[in-house]
Amino acid sequence: MTHIIFDEQRIELEEGQTVLSALLERDHDIANSCRVGVCQSCLLQAVDGEVPESAQVGLKDTLKVQGYFLACSCKPETPLHVVKANDTDLYHSATVIEHELLGSDILRLRLKPEHMFEYRAGQFVTLWKTQSLGRSYSLASVAELDDSLELHIRRIPGGQLSNWLHDEVKVGNSLQLQSATGNCFYIPGSAEQKILLAGTGTGLAPLIGIARDALRQRHSGEIHLIHGTVQKEDLYLHQTLLDMAKQNEQFHYYANVLRLNEQQVPDNANSIIRSLPLEQQVTEIAVQPAEWKAYLCGDESIVNSLKKKLFISGFNMKNIYTDPFVISTDV
Amino acid sequence: MTSLYERIGGDAAVDAAVDIFYRKVLMDDRINEFFDGVDMEQQINKQKGFLTMVFGGPNNYTGKDMREGHKHLVARGLNDSHVDAVVELLGATLQELGVAAEDIQEVANLANSVRGDVLNK
Repeated sequence: MTHIIFDEQRIELEEGQTVLSALLERDHDIANSCRVGVCQSCLLQAVDGEVPESAQVGLKDTLKVQGYFLACSCKPETPLHVVKANDTDLYHSATVIEHELLGSDILRLRLKPEHMFEYRAGQFVTLWKTQSLGRSYSLASVAELDDSLELHIRRIPGGQLSNWLHDEVKVGNSLQLQSATGNCFYIPGSAEQKILLAGTGTGLAPLIGIARDALRQRHSGEIHLIHGTVQKEDLYLHQTLLDMAKQNEQFHYYANVLRLNEQQVPDNANSIIRSLPLEQQVTEIAVQPAEWKAYLCGDESIVNSLKKKLFISGFNMKNIYTDPFVISTDV
Repeated sequence: MTSLYERIGGDAAVDAAVDIFYRKVLMDDRINEFFDGVDMEQQINKQKGFLTMVFGGPNNYTGKDMREGHKHLVARGLNDSHVDAVVELLGATLQELGVAAEDIQEVANLANSVRGDVLNK
């Protein structure tokens, strides 16, 4: 017999009892449906203790490493501290140490947190202007390589946070942020697998973090990064990416610009900048899609439609990681 | 005698079948409009639940779940022809995976047994 800790309460488990059944018995409101480990409705997170392997069958590997498990299939043998999914929020203060405009409307913020905290490159943090006004931004930095946090913030017309960050926040200011979350990050283990990173706009931020993290962890397979933008001027890290491709043989960079002025560059299969739609670019690169792993970040509708197209073209669903950026309607 | 679920290959068969089946569903113009705008991860988990059930595997779905889960689709015009299409794609998926014809028939029978609930008849 063992127990779980949930909502600051100690709950005893009967022999062979599942976490879900113990919580429901005590009237905790835990979403659930099939109760046989298939539908994943009853996803919870363990913040301390050992999760039985059988409680993680079928979960995405990025969820497994964060301690997520299915309550209906979880019969722990030792004490487990359990929280509802995404209920581990902690707040941090961080000082702005760099405030630089990249291109016309993207701000690069570098922040030095008071206490360094754990995150995985590609996850996002929420920045708070007031207690009730916050927005999430992806991390472009890599915890193991960089001593500050890097965020790329596009100015949204009428956006309350982005305009404030662009116009009023200055180097030396202190900001409140909420610890990193998100399931779009690199996992070591299949070092030879080919990786596709495709994103639009500031969807580049998590992707460049994931790419650097993969290289840091000695990923040996090819890494192909596609940055999709509306205009050529929006390729805000063009030179950085060209340099990365020059320095790392396995790293390939493509820029797909929707509105390409013919005088700007020749648009042929050999040029880095093309006006080819993202999905066609992907099809050209990923010839045997079942062998690939894909990370898609940026504009919500583009990410979702690309995900569908990739899946139909033969990518395995478990190998597609996405981070669709949702623009708050409450600008 | 082994059960249908064991003969097909249990969990592993569900995993192998789900991507193939869902891909067929999304490509099929007779039914894919019902899947527009849904969360694909959630949907694939639901498909796994469905496949487990029609393979004769362990599940706790009730007729009521089936009715509730498809009511909004019935309101959008879901009818027998769409269920026929799903059963057909299910058969094609299993054929691709080398499942025996009699077992495919049994799966189709199980799928058809929930037709009334799904269509809220």
